[in-house]
This record gives sequence, structure tokens and C-alpha cells, in this order.
Amino acid sequence: MLISTKWLADYVTVPDGLQDFCDRLDLTGTGVEGVEKVGANLDGVVVGHVLTSVDHPDSDHLHVTTVNVGGEEPLQIVCGAPNMTAGIKVPVATIGSVLPGNVKIKKGKMRGVESHGMCCSKRELEQGTDHEGIWILPEDAPVGMPIAEYLKLSDTVLDLEITPNRPDCLSMAGFAREVGAMYRVPVTYPEKQLVEDAGLPGAAQLCTVEVEDPDRCPRYTARVIKNVKIGPSPDWLAERVTAAGSRPINNIVDVTNYILFLLGQPLHAFDYDKLVGEDGQAHIIVRAAEDGEQFTTLDDVERTLTSDMTVIATPERAVALAGVMGGLDSEVTEETTTILLEAATFERGRTSRTSRNLGLISESSMRYERGVDDNSCALNSDFAAALMAEVSGGTVCPGMVDVYQKVTLPVNLKLRVQRCQNFLGAEISAEEMTDILQRLGCEVAPSGEEGVLDVVAPTFRPDLEREVDLYEEILRLYGMDRIESTLPAGRGRLGVRSEAQRKMDVVNNTLRACGLNETMTYSFADPTELEKLRMPTEGLGIPVELLNPLNAEQSVMRQSIIPGLLRSVAYNQSHGVRNVQLYETGVVFYASQGHKKPKERQKLAGVLAGAMAEAGWNVAPAAFDFFDGKGVVESLARELAIPKLRFKALSAEEAPHLQPGRAAQVLSGGSLLGWVGEIHPLAAKAFDAAAPVVAFELDVDALLKAAQPSRPYVDVPTFPAVTIDVAFVVDEDVTHETMVQRITSAGGKLLESVSLFDVYRDALRVGPGKKSMAYNLTYRAADRTLTSEEVEKTHDRIIKKVCGSVGAEVRS
Amino acid sequence: MAIVDEVLALREQTLAAIEAAQNSQALEQVRVGVLGKAGTLTAYLRSMGQVAKEERAAVGKTVNEVRSAVEAALAESKARLAAAELEASINAAAVDITQPGRAQQMGTRHLINAISDEISEIFLGLGYTVKTGPEVETDWYNFTALNAPADHPSRSMQDTFYVRDLSGDEAAVRGESDVLLRTQTSGVQVHVMEDEPLPIYMIAPGKVYRRDVADPSHLPQFHQCEGLVVDKNITFGDLKGTLEYFCKAMFGEERKTRFRAHFFPFTEPSAEADVSCGVCGGTGHTHTGERCRMCKGTGWLEILGCGMVDPNVLEMCGIDPEEYSGFAFGVGIERVACLKYNVPDLRMLLEGDMRFLRQF
Repeated sequence: MLISTKWLADYVTVPDGLQDFCDRLDLTGTGVEGVEKVGANLDGVVVGHVLTSVDHPDSDHLHVTTVNVGGEEPLQIVCGAPNMTAGIKVPVATIGSVLPGNVKIKKGKMRGVESHGMCCSKRELEQGTDHEGIWILPEDAPVGMPIAEYLKLSDTVLDLEITPNRPDCLSMAGFAREVGAMYRVPVTYPEKQLVEDAGLPGAAQLCTVEVEDPDRCPRYTARVIKNVKIGPSPDWLAERVTAAGSRPINNIVDVTNYILFLLGQPLHAFDYDKLVGEDGQAHIIVRAAEDGEQFTTLDDVERTLTSDMTVIATPERAVALAGVMGGLDSEVTEETTTILLEAATFERGRTSRTSRNLGLISESSMRYERGVDDNSCALNSDFAAALMAEVSGGTVCPGMVDVYQKVTLPVNLKLRVQRCQNFLGAEISAEEMTDILQRLGCEVAPSGEEGVLDVVAPTFRPDLEREVDLYEEILRLYGMDRIESTLPAGRGRLGVRSEAQRKMDVVNNTLRACGLNETMTYSFADPTELEKLRMPTEGLGIPVELLNPLNAEQSVMRQSIIPGLLRSVAYNQSHGVRNVQLYETGVVFYASQGHKKPKERQKLAGVLAGAMAEAGWNVAPAAFDFFDGKGVVESLARELAIPKLRFKALSAEEAPHLQPGRAAQVLSGGSLLGWVGEIHPLAAKAFDAAAPVVAFELDVDALLKAAQPSRPYVDVPTFPAVTIDVAFVVDEDVTHETMVQRITSAGGKLLESVSLFDVYRDALRVGPGKKSMAYNLTYRAADRTLTSEEVEKTHDRIIKKVCGSVGAEVRS
Repeated sequence: MAIVDEVLALREQTLAAIEAAQNSQALEQVRVGVLGKAGTLTAYLRSMGQVAKEERAAVGKTVNEVRSAVEAALAESKARLAAAELEASINAAAVDITQPGRAQQMGTRHLINAISDEISEIFLGLGYTVKTGPEVETDWYNFTALNAPADHPSRSMQDTFYVRDLSGDEAAVRGESDVLLRTQTSGVQVHVMEDEPLPIYMIAPGKVYRRDVADPSHLPQFHQCEGLVVDKNITFGDLKGTLEYFCKAMFGEERKTRFRAHFFPFTEPSAEADVSCGVCGGTGHTHTGERCRMCKGTGWLEILGCGMVDPNVLEMCGIDPEEYSGFAFGVGIERVACLKYNVPDLRMLLEGDMRFLRQF
């Protein structure tokens, strides 16, 4: 909402400087979003005195003039205006000035004659619509004075954020009332005396109004103004409409806009003659639109209506979309001589839906959806009719057709002084409360009850419905800064993290200790990205689709975090960062047919590309491979005390997004936690990421469910251990997991641990298709020192069993 | 030469050898040569039986004295040499301590979550618990139960992403839906009031979505931290005190807080809180008199929205507003990040650029 301080000054005197005024507005709930000094855009435009004017030698309409603009020498200016003549005073845009519309004035030549500026019309200066000729200023205009100063154009316009609960502040008069209440200063409300022409037929003879559903239209008033002459508005009116951020159109339309800005009453002016039916009367019907009804609004767009919308109609056709916009074929034109003036109120929610359904938000709809006061319709209509008559030479027909079927009554409220004090935490006296509410237009009186006030809220404040709404008004104008700061005194509350939150702390700490950097990517996804990733969508539901996405690449919600992380890998690689270690925890979304809300699953995903760091003088980090990803998962499992962690190879069919042979399912016992592997080179390429990229994606709920509060305690050994190394030569397809199983099952109680310390392949020494797997076997008893015989016996048994069951040979 | 003289000569000779030993090894050779099994002095001790009876006492005494002297000299020399050798090895082992260390590379927490952690820590200390809620919400939890019924103009304060409703329900307005991406964490308030016993002291950090094109100062997904207190006798003063404490804990003891009246459908009265600008110290201008760019000359930075829980919201959640009152607030976490770290472009938070992430 734009508020011209110059205009505001007509109704209320602000007893503060501009900065303090803005601060005070901010503090009391009217946000100041911008302060603009108007008139500055006419810099360089000054009052000039035309000294001479002769016809241009090579033109039949141009004049060559000399104009005194207060400088040492008069300027030679070529001008095409028909009303140019010597002796007049005109606005002159000098070289370097910039006119509205970003027109830059430069030195130029017109048909061979130099021109050092431009004489301006009203329209060129945006001071009116007149463009017939240059703007002839009064004779006493001082030569050389900046035009903005001369015309008192300089104004400060505030751009205010009026919150949705304050429709009353969407008008100059309402805002003046707010300012008056803020400063406890008097407000002069605008008034205009209406004179009806008793010689004319009454409004009731000229038109009828029928409102089919009072819920849709609580009040509808119609007045008729005859003998109007459509033309440009007088300067003051054009100026006001411009100051409010609108554009002057013609005298009648400008009055409707002026009243809208001044009093907050949306109005519509119909060309009466276009409404008149065969019986010589205009019959206005306020009715529901028909589903599929076609209607062309003022902006020349044909719109398809629904029965949820309300139209103003004649028996033949709709002529306006109630509360939103008028119709093209009944609008006021230059030929219009009789006006039917509508001042009405329409249902809030329906107006809002209509404008959203049609994508059509107007100054009217914006006010109606917030609430327009029914009770002031008639007065506002009178004001507008009087003004229309004044600016268009018309006369107002006697009377008004007023259909007011659903009357809004003022709200009576009880204000419990003590409770208000307790609620706000401040000892505000009943007298101060009374004063504040009265300043805002409430009627306040003592009730029969001790400590309770009776408050009647005015109907222009639809937000004052309950006692607590009064507390807000009291607090706002009393001043939030005056309330003493305290802390809640409630007893017996504890700030504790939940178990899941503590486990998530462990997850995050572990991943960071593993060198992974937490990141965040978009929750939005490209509908084709899982296909690009080659990831099977089984079990991921159907994508959650946005009805109004920002773009096609972000039109669904993600089902996996991996695509986002791969985009980040690609982003880093394309910016010269080769070593990437990222992880993200976040929600993925799975929708299903027939269900309103999708499932949200918390996932934990990570990607590793390059190495942990650049090689240094004393470190040589290895390039990431499958085992780095697996190691991260193992660390997580250790820190979360997840029992029976297992990795099961995933085939190319099971996990096409992963490189076969470097892909594994992660399990805890029988429950699936997720997967880890190297992203398939083709999938990486599809995301412009350079392979290898090691990745994992785990289900957070499964992870936390598998996590144990702690690992079981094992006594620290007191007796010595015996460690023996042994290398088995086995076929390539024998896995480490198999080896460990065989070794431990043969080892019995005395075998404490098995640790793989080397894997060696050599066609000559080990044999083709074979590998040597070297293990440390540690033997220990908890209650004694083992004898060498005991150890040898167990060790021999292990060797025999392993060799027998997997066809291994011991490498010597 | 008498034996005693021989032993005394050996003593001189040995002490000279000890003196001459350049290192522990040479010293050990001397020791073995004199005191070892086949050592020269040991030989005298072994042959005491063959010494004439009348000389035996004198020889024995001399040999013992010499042994003591040699052992003492050996010990002294050993210690000296060991010290010298240690010093030499230490000198040899000196490194250029300005060369980089062998550090384990730790990962980092994302700035937004780091700030969220910080906020949680502050409120955990005040006795609040940390809650979460779903990111896809129904209209009820995001708007209606928060006192913004259908078609309420306050809904247009936020541009909402709507989700296709697969339940078969149809929306009253084309392009809208009963299912949406939450535009605020405030819906968690409703879930908590519905599900948890009173009193409630909770915060709920989380991701929210608004239909804004990503640019340096807007993201279509960002984070808020909701706060909610419902208890007996909660006052607006409690709201002020709590949030003033929070702002000081978050931004520094010297920062001031101010409250501006505002409007939110789910609080009444409502306010926005500003914290004094840390760049200009709240003056609105730099020491050279230029307008402060951080706060645009106002001296204040908007930091959160807050208010007393609207009685309609309490009632819809089955809480008697005559008995209980409360306050709620919502902090923009990206906003805090920008104020604390001057992040020039919010999009950096979602790019995963290692050079950005590793700074925090």
C-alpha cells in the first residue's frame, strides 16, 4: 500500500520526523518497506520563458524558439507544439534530464536546427493526460525554478506492508485513523456534501437490484449520475490517483479509484445505458455464475466462470465479476453520459477463490477478500457520486437503491483487565486500556462486573472478534518495549535429547570422523533421474508430484539422495576439486495411489570420489575404492553397536546402478540396512561425474533400530596370547567371509581372533586363478597360559579343516 | 715387579682406556677386557689362591680397590657417553617443524545443521525438547489448524508448493491441493499439542518449502526452527525474555533485541523480533558515516516471528485457553547463517562445493 505523506497531511498531522514516523509504524505493526521521494525524477526540468518563437525554415509545424531558463544565455529549442508562442512560460527539460519512462534529453538537431532541450506537455511529465500541446504555466511562474519545486510535486511516498488482518488500513482515511491512534492526535476525516438533483427521476425508477444470495453479497447499493461528460480528471484528482500508484484514466474511473484509495471502498461505474433493458430500466441481478459461463473482463480477456463465482448481471448477461473486475462491454467510454455507480460488499472467501481461480488479483478483490465494511457503503457511495458530479459536470439522481440483507453488527466484547495484565505481563491500568481502545474507534464502558470493561468494536475492524484481539491492540499501542522481560516460571521440565537424536549425533560424529563432509541437496528431483542413475524403483513407491513446480528438473520429490550427491560430485569435479567426500541425511518421499500423504523415509547417503586428501610430503592417500565406502559403514556399525553386520554381494540385475563385483547389500542379521558400492561408470557418466564414485545409501530408521545401547563388555585378557600367521592358497572365488567361517568353526574356543593381513596374486608363484590369503590367528584362553601343544593341536585342526573344505593349500 | 704394582699399573692403564673410549661400544670392550670372564683384573681375582700368603691381604685389598675404581670410572664414563650419544641422536633427529603434520582429515557439519545444533543446545538448556514433523503436510496442519482457514488472505503471505493428492479429493481452487510441502515448521506445534501432555516446551527445527526461484537471497527450500511453550500463566513478558536470551546466546551478549507488532494467523498478539546490527553496532551507519549495508541503515536485523499462541489454535488442539496460555516463535536458520557468516549467496548452501563446506 502506497501512502503519500502529502496526501496524509490533509487528514492528520504527524508529530514526528520521517525517520521516527517510520520507526513508530514499524513498531506498531505497519511495516515500512520503502520510502520514496517523488519528484526527483523531474530533476533538470525547470520553468522556462519563451522569448522568441519563429517557424522552422524546413518544416510546416516545427517552431524554433529561444527560451530563458535562468541561465546566462537563452536556449535554442525546436518545438512541435501547436500552442507554442512567444511570451509563455513552459516546463523545459534541459540537456541531461531524464523524463518519466526513462526518456533521456540530449542535444539534438531537428531538420538541421540545433535543439538544446525540450518543452514538455503534461503527459510527458506524467502530470496529466493532456498531450495536445505544451503545458502552459501561469505567468507568474519563476523562471529557472525546478518544476518539481514549483508544482509542489515533491512528496514522500511510503510503501507500507498492511498485514491481512487490517483491511481498515488499506485506505487513506483508515490509515489516518491508525496514525491518530498511534500519536493520540486528532484526525479530520474527508467528507463531501452530496446534492441530488430533484428534477431527475429517482434511482429507484431507473434501476432495480436483486441479490439472490445475501451470503455472496451482503449489501449492494446503486446510484445513478446523469449528464456526465467523460474527460481527463482535474489535476488534483489525477495527482492523487498517481500518488496512490494508479494511472489516471478518465474523470469517472479516476473517482472510483480515488474513493477506493481514500475510503477503502471498491466501486464500479457502469455505463448505465448499456444496462438498460427493453422496459427502459436497468435490472441488476447479483447471482452465482453458471458453470462454464463465458465473460470478458475489462482487460479484454475472455474467462470461463464457475458456479462458485458471483456475477453482477442484467437479465440478459453478466456485466461484472463481483468484487474482482468489471466487464468490457459495460465499461465507461467517451460516449457515456449516465453512470450507474455500484458500492457493494462481497463474500470474502469466495472473492479470494475467484481471483485465485482466474489468476486475477485487483485492488478491489484484494480489499474484499480481507473485508470491506458493509455499514459505510452508502456514505461512500454518496461521496463518490458527489465527486463524479463535480468532476464530470453531471447531476446525481435522487435516492439510492440499497439492498442490505445481511447486516454486519458491531461486536460486543468483555475485557477482563486483570486477565489482560496477566496475559501481557504488565500492569497496564484500566484507564490506559480504555484510552487506547477508544483511540482506535472502539466504544468502551464499564460493565456491571468489577474489573471488566464492555467494548464495542467498530465494524471496520473485522479483526476484533475476541477478547484476545483487544489485548493485541492494547499491547501494540502501549508499546512492546515497555513490557518487562521474564522467563517462564513453570516447574519440572527437562531438556533432553531423545534416544534417536542421540544416536543421530553418533552417526554424524562418526561420519565426520571418517572424513565425510555433510552437505544438503535439493529435495526436488527430476522425474527421469532414477532412470539416469539406473536405480531400480521397486519399493520406492511412486514419485510425489508437485502441481506447481518451479521447473521440470524439480517437478517431483526425491526418492533417493544419491542423484543430488552425484550432481555435487560433478559440480566439484567441474570446479577442479577432485577429492570429494560428502554425506547427507534427509527425507525421501514415496507416494502411493489412494493415499493423501506420501511416506517419508529418512535416508543417510554418502559419496566418495578421488581420495581423502592430496598426497603430501609424508602421506600418500590411496584413491577411494569400494572398501572406503564399506569402511565407513563398518565404522558406523561399530559406533552404533549394530550386531551381526553383514555384506552380501549384489548382482548386476539386483543393483544395475552399481558396478558389478563392487556392490554389496548391508545387513544386520536378517534386516536390510541399505547398500554400498561403486556407482556404475555409465550411471556416473550420466550425471557428468568422473568414476569411480563410491557411494552408500542407508535407511536411518533401520540403522537406528538395529543399533544397540552399547556393546557387551569383554574382560581384558590377563593371560598371554599366541599369534600364528598362515597363508592359504585358494581359488579366486573363495571369499574372505567363507574363510573366516571355516577358520572360526574349526578354531573353537581357543581361537580368539582372525585377521586378514595380505591378499597376494601371482600366476607363477601362487598359480593362475588362485590367490594367497594370509591370516593372523590369535589363540588365547581366558583362564590360563596356553601350552604350545594346545595351540599346535588347534592350529593343525584349522589347517586341515580349511584345506579340506575349500580346497586350500598352505603356502609355505 | 710385585703383584700389587702390576695391579696398580693395570689400574692406570684401564683408567686411561676408559678415558679414551669414544663410545659405549668401545667402553664395553674395555669393561670386558678388564672385568669380563677373561678380563685382566678378573684374572688377578681368580689367581688369588696362588698369591703368597703374606702378600694375599695387600694384593686382595689393592685388587678390590682397583675394581671399585674401574667400575666407578666405567659407570661415570658410561653415563657421560650415553648422554652424549642421546644428545647426538636427538640432534640428528631434529625436523623442520614447519613442515605439515600428519593429520587425520576430519569431516565437517553443514553450516545450517551446525546452527540448528546451536539453537537446539540453547533451548535444551532452557528445558525444551527437540521435535520433528513431516515435510509433506495436509492443508489442516499447515494452515487450517493454525487459524488460517481456507481462502484466508494470510495464506497468500507464503507461496505454497502443492502436491498431487492421490486420495481422490479435489481442491476448491484450480492448481491447489489439500496436500502440500509445508511452508513453515509451525505445523509441528499442532502435532505436538495433539499428541503430547502439557506443559509443552519444545523446539522443532526442519526443512520448509516456498515457491521462490533460487537466487542469492531466496531458496525454494530452507530451514526454520519452531518454538512452542504452552503452560499455565505464560505471559508476553516470558516470550520477550526467552527470545532476548536466545538472541544474546546466539549473537553475543552486547546485542539488543526489539519487538515489532506484526500479524500471524496462529498467534495473537504477534510480533517480529529484530536484533541490533552487529556490523554497525545498531547505529545504522559505519564509522565513516556511510549507511550500513548489513542493516540498510536501520540498525536492526529481522530475525524471527513470534507471538502468544492464538486461543483458536489451543482450542482446536483440545487445550482450554482460559487455563493455559503459551507463546510460539519461528526462526529462519538461513537468516541466522547469513547474519553470522555473511554468506553472500544462499545457493552455496545446496551446491555441495567442498571449498565452501570445509570452512565450517
